Amino acid sequence: MIEPFHNLFRPRPAPKQPQRDSAFEEIGLQLKKEISSIFGRSLAIREVDSGSDNSTEIELNNLSTPYYDIERFGISFVASPKHADVMVVTGAVTLNMETAVLKTYEVMPSPKLVIAIGDDACDGGIFKGTYAVRGGVDKILMVDIKIPGNPPTPTQIMSGLLSLMEILKRR
Amino acid sequence: MDNDSLKTANLLLNKICQAYFTRQAANEVYLPVSESDFRELVPLLPEIEVILISLFCVENFEGSAGFTLFYVLEKRRERNIVILQRHLEGAEAVSVAEYLPSAGWFEREIHDGFGIEFSDAVDKRRLFLHEAYPHGFHPLLKSFKNQDITPSRKSINATENYVFKEVKGCGVYQIPVGPVHAGIIEPGHFRFSVIGETIFNLEVRMFYKHRGLEKLAEGKKPGETVIVAETISGDESAANAAAFCLAVEKIAQCRVPERANYLRTILLEMERIYSHLGDLAGMNVDVAFGVGASDFLILREEILRFNDTLTGSRFLKNMFCLGGLKKDIPSKSLLTLNKYLDIFRNRLQRANDYIHRTNSAIDRFETTGIIKKELIQPLNITGPAARATGVEIDNRVDHPYGIYHLFEITKRTAVNGDVLARFDVKMAEILDSIDIIQKSISALKSGSIIAEVVIKDGYGMALVESARGQNLHWIYVKNGMIDRYKIRTASFCNWQSIEHAVLGNIVPDFPLINKSLNLSYAGTDL
Repeated sequence: MIEPFHNLFRPRPAPKQPQRDSAFEEIGLQLKKEISSIFGRSLAIREVDSGSDNSTEIELNNLSTPYYDIERFGISFVASPKHADVMVVTGAVTLNMETAVLKTYEVMPSPKLVIAIGDDACDGGIFKGTYAVRGGVDKILMVDIKIPGNPPTPTQIMSGLLSLMEILKRR
Repeated sequence: MDNDSLKTANLLLNKICQAYFTRQAANEVYLPVSESDFRELVPLLPEIEVILISLFCVENFEGSAGFTLFYVLEKRRERNIVILQRHLEGAEAVSVAEYLPSAGWFEREIHDGFGIEFSDAVDKRRLFLHEAYPHGFHPLLKSFKNQDITPSRKSINATENYVFKEVKGCGVYQIPVGPVHAGIIEPGHFRFSVIGETIFNLEVRMFYKHRGLEKLAEGKKPGETVIVAETISGDESAANAAAFCLAVEKIAQCRVPERANYLRTILLEMERIYSHLGDLAGMNVDVAFGVGASDFLILREEILRFNDTLTGSRFLKNMFCLGGLKKDIPSKSLLTLNKYLDIFRNRLQRANDYIHRTNSAIDRFETTGIIKKELIQPLNITGPAARATGVEIDNRVDHPYGIYHLFEITKRTAVNGDVLARFDVKMAEILDSIDIIQKSISALKSGSIIAEVVIKDGYGMALVESARGQNLHWIYVKNGMIDRYKIRTASFCNWQSIEHAVLGNIVPDFPLINKSLNLSYAGTDL
């Protein structure tokens, strides 16, 4: 499933952004523009938790709360991987979740983009090399971008999405 | 049972009862029990109304080769905790689940971790080791060095495949849900047996997120292990970090400076506030009352931002350390927080009034997901879920830690044990937490925030009231390193209550009941 060298060269950690609401708005609007041109108005995201400590889930949920409300930028979290353009994976991949993550990925239609969110998802974090995990998400799937953080803030997640758009434009 | 053994068992029982009254600095009494006495004693334990709050195994404890099981017994209204120490001859033990039902999951956990057979146990299925783990693999054995294992599904015995309970009958069908759910939630599998829309049986299969935290801690220096405690459950990181630090500080006999204790209390209560706010919002979301949820979500975001200003982390991470705190919190930010909390209190009460005026929401909350009071003790249900049934337990009062003895904390209870009761209990607890924070801020004096900790060998336990209930951390330090770190979160206990709470409810109410209990998957799976 992994093309050799893909994970070696492709994913670069998303740059850190200062945390201000104005910064969030700016990134959101920019993202909206990019999504319109690349995806035709909307980006559908499916989230899979592969073994996070649940704070990343809280931040992802926060993106839909009144302070952030990212649906206005054309981003929505969908209930089924069959409706998704992107799969975001949080946490080091545990042995118990490996099959479920792969099955979710399989049913996603192309372009089958994958984002690893959080330090553990990026490279296994403190669990690297232990019995219960395979390691970061890139051990089992081709990862398009990594958004590090413990957990990354809503603004950092958004700027990570923006970096993904930059990568897609260059493809 | 013959007369002699009955006599010894009764003597032991008396000894246990007395242990609850002995004055002890550490509030933990360890009682070694021989295997034959143990067998006689167990059937009598329910008589003295003790609750099995944890059961765990340690290998090569204090130089005695082999396995030692620790049965942690709490008695309501008693400060002391009695711990029965049962040294095993081999790798076999009798199950106590018949008399102390909360032992069920613990025994399966010990079987997976150490390979100990509980020969007469009713449920012998694997717990945290799913099918991906090979036959004969027991990660917590000292002979296993923590490393990447290459699992192969082939090597698992057919008997080790997980079989769900099957409910048969006319019109009964099953709904499998998970581990990947429709929302942004953690993974777990729910197997509903349903008649029409009514839930007839629910079986919860957890541990998809098992990350091997207990093994990960082994061989680490205590100072390096705080991060492991923080990652148990992201939204409980302060409570777990505090519990870990308290246990190590207890072993090292270190006194935390006053200022650090006050600041820790502020952080612990901030965590309770944002956690409860998330639940109040979630319950409204799950009855499709988005407007009602928004008020709580806005307040929670503001609290998360305050967390960030106070500690540099929205989830209060990287702040606790052995002996106190990593950094001081400037008085200016605390005063701003103090002022904000006055406004916060009013806005919260307005939001709560709005929900209570909305019949369509209250109708869904009322009589939904009732937990019966008589289940609290045998299943060791803890925290707001237990208090909502009228059981008066709160670890901050029952087993005070830090400086909680300085506050007069009311145990917030309700009667009905339904979703509405849990909503009201959590609401009342947020208001209490505001008071505790404001009192702490006004009592705060300048001073040092960290004491030197000289790590000593030994073992000890800390009990902390997290937002979800009582968390138990037991640590054994050997040669300056962690030899065994047992974590038992409130979620681990409360997950078993949901199987009972949903019975007779309709499937669409399941998310609501689940949210009202606010169970951490990460904190259960470890």
